[in-house]
Amino acid sequence: MSEGLDYKFLVETFFVALSGVPITLFITIVALIVALPLGFLLALSRINQIPVLNRLAQIYVSFVRGTPVIIQIFIIYSSVPLMLTSIFERYDVEMKVYDVNPIWYAFIVFSLNTTAILIEVFRSAISTVSKGQLEASYAVGLTTAQAFRRIIIPQTLVVALPNICTATVNLIKATSLGYALSLQEITLRAKVAANVGYNYVEAYIDIFLVYLILCSLVEYLFKRYEKRVSRFKAVSI
Amino acid sequence: MEKYFDLAYIAESVPLLVPFLKVTLMVTGLSVLFGSILGFILAIMKLGNSKIAKKFAYGYTTILRCTPSIVLLFLTYYGIPAIAGNFGINLNDIDKAVFVVITFSLQFAAAMSEVIRSSLESIDRGQFEAAVSVGLSHTQAYRRIILPQAFVVALPNFGNSLLELMKEGSLAYTIGLIDIMGKAELIIAGNYNTHALEIYLALAVIYWTLSIVIEKLFLKLEKAFSKGKQVITTA
Repeated sequence: MSEGLDYKFLVETFFVALSGVPITLFITIVALIVALPLGFLLALSRINQIPVLNRLAQIYVSFVRGTPVIIQIFIIYSSVPLMLTSIFERYDVEMKVYDVNPIWYAFIVFSLNTTAILIEVFRSAISTVSKGQLEASYAVGLTTAQAFRRIIIPQTLVVALPNICTATVNLIKATSLGYALSLQEITLRAKVAANVGYNYVEAYIDIFLVYLILCSLVEYLFKRYEKRVSRFKAVSI
Repeated sequence: MEKYFDLAYIAESVPLLVPFLKVTLMVTGLSVLFGSILGFILAIMKLGNSKIAKKFAYGYTTILRCTPSIVLLFLTYYGIPAIAGNFGINLNDIDKAVFVVITFSLQFAAAMSEVIRSSLESIDRGQFEAAVSVGLSHTQAYRRIILPQAFVVALPNFGNSLLELMKEGSLAYTIGLIDIMGKAELIIAGNYNTHALEIYLALAVIYWTLSIVIEKLFLKLEKAFSKGKQVITTA
């Protein structure tokens, strides 16, 4: 590879890598849709110390934060098919486990992973909202649901947003491990394109650029949204 | 293959994997060392007066934060020998661990620069002024007053970054480093892909234990070092 970079390949593969963006975003969004409410509810159960749920959530968070994502991916990828086979056999479902689209495994892994991260994010965010806020909302006659929707959640969101942003960026980065699930996202597409002529340096520069653009964009959007919700910020007296 | 899943196999594979923890820990340790030094330099650049240095340091952090570890890993693995090749240096038979350490040092530096910067900024400016006013030189003021306090503030974040690094380090197997993860892959390949789940579970257990131990250690350290810290208590 002493002849330097192959610029033609560099430009071509950039668009190949770019074509993986929808899948990456799709997984990210699905994971967030699952994880945001689940994370919030489990964070509440942690704060209110609901007996069994609290303990389970604690162990769950500790496990997800204590093990590499790649191992979580491999565990899900090798355990879920086993379970599915036995379920299919028991109920005589005419379906092959290997026909399942790998994107489903990606949904499971990244939703579970993000949920654990968000439990911690929300837990610290909720605890910054003082209990008096809830009591005050009860005092003016709001129901619990109303109090949460109108008073607690907006304030929690202000505190949690920067961390949610970090979690989202990390999630996007983590989807690059989708290659282990043979998922057709950014990394795998560019890598496959590089396999033909061993242009790995160019391919990885492209992947690098695509992630850079994607993550910068996400960060920018979060910054703008942060500005919008900052009007809910509690002003210390 | 009448038995898909064998719980006993998890216990059996743990002793096979544990010896390779050495490689994982060594790579992590070296990355932490180099990354911290580089991170410290970057933090100084961020806090300094030079506009160009500031831009560079912040740019570096943003770029590194937006890059998945695996991409950075391959970029160094393929990129550095290619660049060196242009200058007529052959780096093709260098140890793979070197690339892993380079990658994770670069990444850890980005995280550390933010940790160090925020911890230095968290120390009240008055501390420095007070130190100087009692007659300490600037170096003395930093060494005796600012740094010990900043160190305590930085500890929890340092611990988190360390854990993050250790977990990301598991990706080193993709370029063929035989650390604990690499060994696991070898065992699985040797078993013709049976019992993969058990091996992964064993790995998860090892990593989990290690994380908990490190976490506990940092909590202890934090407690030990914050003895002089003044905490504002609301009565």
